[in-house]
Amino acid sequence: MPGNTIYLRGIGNYYAPVEDKPAELKALVKEATGDAVRRVGRFIQMALVGAGRCVAGRKLPPETGVYFTSGRGDLEVTIEVMEELFRDGHPPKPLNFINTVSNAACFYVAKQFGLHGRSTFLGNSFFSFETALQLAMLDLELGDVKSALVGSVDIVVPPVELHRRRLKIAPETPVAEGAHWLWLSAEKGEGARGAVQAAEFFTGRDALIAWVAKQDLNANETLIAAGQFLSDADLAEIKKASGLTRDFAYRDSLSYYDSQSGAAVAAFLESKTGEVLLHVNADPDGRCAAFIIRK
Amino acid sequence: MRTYFLGAGLHTCLGKGVAANLAALRAPPALPSVQILPLGAEEQRVPVHLLADEPLDDIENRQMKVVDGVVREALTASGLSEADIRELAIFVGTSSLDISITEEVYQRELAAGLDAHPLTANSAMGNFTKLIRQRFGIRGPDYTVNTACTAAANALMYADAMIRAGKIKHALIIGLESFNRITALGFSSLGLLAPDGMRPFDKDRRGIALGEGCSAMVVGAEPKRENSFYLRGGANICDIFSITAANSDGSTVSGVIRDAMANAKIAKEDITAIKTHGTASLLNDEAESAGMKQVFEKMPPLCAIKPFIGHTFGACGLNELILFCGALEEGFLIATPGIGADENELGVVLTQERTPVAPGVFMLNYFGFGGNNTSLVIANAG
Repeated sequence: MPGNTIYLRGIGNYYAPVEDKPAELKALVKEATGDAVRRVGRFIQMALVGAGRCVAGRKLPPETGVYFTSGRGDLEVTIEVMEELFRDGHPPKPLNFINTVSNAACFYVAKQFGLHGRSTFLGNSFFSFETALQLAMLDLELGDVKSALVGSVDIVVPPVELHRRRLKIAPETPVAEGAHWLWLSAEKGEGARGAVQAAEFFTGRDALIAWVAKQDLNANETLIAAGQFLSDADLAEIKKASGLTRDFAYRDSLSYYDSQSGAAVAAFLESKTGEVLLHVNADPDGRCAAFIIRK
Repeated sequence: MRTYFLGAGLHTCLGKGVAANLAALRAPPALPSVQILPLGAEEQRVPVHLLADEPLDDIENRQMKVVDGVVREALTASGLSEADIRELAIFVGTSSLDISITEEVYQRELAAGLDAHPLTANSAMGNFTKLIRQRFGIRGPDYTVNTACTAAANALMYADAMIRAGKIKHALIIGLESFNRITALGFSSLGLLAPDGMRPFDKDRRGIALGEGCSAMVVGAEPKRENSFYLRGGANICDIFSITAANSDGSTVSGVIRDAMANAKIAKEDITAIKTHGTASLLNDEAESAGMKQVFEKMPPLCAIKPFIGHTFGACGLNELILFCGALEEGFLIATPGIGADENELGVVLTQERTPVAPGVFMLNYFGFGGNNTSLVIANAG
């Protein structure tokens, strides 16, 4: 059972702070996938950009599973359908209605890359990226899948002041859009960038600390990254208990979006410090999540 | 290691509670009611099986009231201790989540002339599970699975995977579908609504009737009694033929059925009966019947549950599983008299009379928008 090495064979990211209007994505979709994908909204476009950069022109095994997540889902299409229906008195346009199902993005990603394995969309408020990573790891470790494309997307729907209201974050908080995709495989293959050692959830901080103690993490080579919802006090307690002292402060440079944890993986692998990353996050109820990446 | 079904709760148009639902299954399916929805200057008539004993009012509180009752029924039936409940992992399978509440808030604010915008009251996809966790004191992880009509079935498969991996002892799976205008008028826009009820695999099939339903099931690694149902295996694949329907040649349906049987380590001859997806839409029934015929030279007895409760979309994976298992435990296979009775161009027929069934191995199939196809294999023997 669990303990198998899961290799990181591809990484694709899109990140853009939004001050006024989000950037146009059509050209980026074409650049990332080689195709001009038509009649899709921003959420699906961003999924394709991130996944396309992750796949990077390679042919994935057709049975690759897609594990996709978001904190808010496709806000744009839901808002459009609701305004048309309730404000303007028009029925949903058929394609808009179909795209209100969050897994529509999974379909477009699977179709673009010729995949017909498992396909899952997961919503979660504070651990969205972690939930997709955890379930993909579970399937890989159990041998239920051999290859997995794991991704997250959160978009901004302008005006930005209204977006902040929807996110229930303070006025003036900088916001961003982000898509983060990983190609994970049970086989090392060519060009593996690293490995995911674990992805776990905990009922509280003490359970997390007990688990970290069993992970054989060398304090000299391991960096610890705090996810966006982990308090400084919790981070300090985890560091104290684990003996890990080296921070990987990727979150300080990012504006707000829900699935920010996904940004940590590429940032760590591209950094020149550390061999191992322990990423820890928490929600307001004190539940915790962690994952470990090895270069 | 296996994942056993330990306790269930259910609320559909058939009744409040599992027992009331099973009692109602002994009568033939009733026709849906008709909801009249304003749309600009006009009105749309929408066929829907609304929840029994739960008037369609106080929308902002109605859903949680229903969920509360269903989850309590499942937890009580499971016999879990408070400590076990605290550690539960939650898997919600839904396609519309809490959009009925979001719609109500937006309409109220529009009517009041406020600075109304959709999704300002709640836009977080994890808000529903947060409310459930807080209400029942649950601290395990939560997953909101949103894969259209396969959502709750996929939720069960992930709960099973976590139990097999030893990551959790128990899971609470919730299926949720509340009446909402986007779904109702969206399916109306697609021309998929049938005013006279659902007639899967029937020469007179015309499409779907909406259904409301909420279900909950506690699962765990230890059976509660002899012959408890357990998930023997399953498969989920993405059919990239079309975003709205499985490939009508049946290839992807037969593929997921074969994958599920391989995963469950069974032969096709082992299957005692099949719960079809049976949406009564032209394309789904074509694809489903073609796929089953490719796998089974001798078709096992087939049943369909949507004629009784309507299409409960993301929740149907669990709503129909609970009804199917409950009927089998009472010793019969669900019948739909007069629906799917004759072998037409689709070449399959549904069970017409309640048929005695012994414990065995059973299959349940689900197909959803986004090309999401899932097949489950359950058993209560062997």
